Amino acid sequence: MIETLAWLLLWGTVVGLDLVSVGQVMIARPLVAGTVAGAIAGDPVGGATVGAVLELFALDVLPVGAARYPDYGLGAVAAAATAAGAPGALGTGIGVCVGLAVAYLGELGIRAVRGLNTADVRYRREALDAGDAAVVRATQMRGLLRDALRSAVVTVLGLAIAALVYRWPPVTVQGAVLVTIVLIGAALGAGATGGMRLSGRGLHLRWFVLGVAAGVVWVIVT
Amino acid sequence: MNLRIASALWRTLLFQASWNYDRLVGVGMAHASEPLLRDLPGGRTGEPYREAMCRATEFFNAHPYLGGMAVGAVARAEHDGLPGEQVRRLRHALIGPLGSVGDRLFWAGVLPAAVGLGLVVTATVSPLAGIVSFLVAYNAVHLAIRVWGLRAGWRSGPAIAQELTAGSIQQGLRVVGPIAAIAVGFALPVVAEWLAEEFQMRTRLSIGLVAALAIVFSRWIVPTFGTLRFGLAAAGFALVVGWLS
Repeated sequence: MIETLAWLLLWGTVVGLDLVSVGQVMIARPLVAGTVAGAIAGDPVGGATVGAVLELFALDVLPVGAARYPDYGLGAVAAAATAAGAPGALGTGIGVCVGLAVAYLGELGIRAVRGLNTADVRYRREALDAGDAAVVRATQMRGLLRDALRSAVVTVLGLAIAALVYRWPPVTVQGAVLVTIVLIGAALGAGATGGMRLSGRGLHLRWFVLGVAAGVVWVIVT
Repeated sequence: MNLRIASALWRTLLFQASWNYDRLVGVGMAHASEPLLRDLPGGRTGEPYREAMCRATEFFNAHPYLGGMAVGAVARAEHDGLPGEQVRRLRHALIGPLGSVGDRLFWAGVLPAAVGLGLVVTATVSPLAGIVSFLVAYNAVHLAIRVWGLRAGWRSGPAIAQELTAGSIQQGLRVVGPIAAIAVGFALPVVAEWLAEEFQMRTRLSIGLVAALAIVFSRWIVPTFGTLRFGLAAAGFALVVGWLS
């Protein structure tokens, strides 16, 4: 149990760093973060399911410039930990609820880290303006450390919420199924909206509609 | 010099590590540029290195994957001995195009296309195959562009605009949008079928109804609400109803 929590904490920290600070190789996408967290918790399919639902919500996010965006990767880690072991639809809805809340906490954390980075840069303005390479390197490393700390703290909070939900389920079995139905529907709607926004109004929207039609045919045929 | 380029390439992976509201990625730009500036006349103790580092820490912004282009181009301009004011103008001139091309190429193109692929493979093959196909497809393009961008910048210097308007980049921008639109569109019904496979037809219709309401709400009624707030509102509503039921 402790070993699993330690691995989830490590994975959450790596996922949080990947979102902005290191590499952006997209292990922070909820599909990846959720599947791996589910595998660590012993339920890769459950993790992939909550990851896919959160991925649909995340499709609408364009992480451009100074945009502030939810940390769906950390949300997926907490969601997978919540849903792990629950049979079928029972864990998905509650897991996604936890995931959405943790994604918001992650967003608040990003704002805080950026504020602290700004204060740091202002404090060292003279050395940075003088082009001191050692100060530049140290500023980068402090930024990395802050983001690693943010990721670790949000992951711990997410795992704590998951443990509370596991210990005291907020809804009955029937209620859990209802939550799953609503959140899968909401995620599909959010994903469709995200797809339409990405496609714009012109020719690309027609490509999007063509893709949906091809997907429907695929589902019917297979 | 290849070692210096490799070092700069590694540092571009940390481009946004100290992202801040004053200089945005200016400090990250300086950190990534530093290995390429060490060979300036006089080395690390020389005046050209110190002045180049001063300029490198100033305000800068770019798409993180294309930031390497700016790192290479500006370092080349410093090596070519361009006056400081011209180097500054080059930096500022690169902010808009690198941001615009990167956002269109990756955030609105390669990323949703790879996500669509990953979702479809997850639903139809296995979760492991889904995340592997997503990561390989995405990072094959991402890492290739990072390497190409830094080398192109270092090769071209102030003439970097020619690389951005080259046929391959423009062709990529033309095709990646439609590919992303098709991939996301195709993934939606496939994933819907996978997520709802354990439910009976009546429940599936309920999911479809919720999805239709969600589209109307998030696309037309409150388009600025954001999917997270929308998801939290849906989760809160579902929890209350589920708690009462």
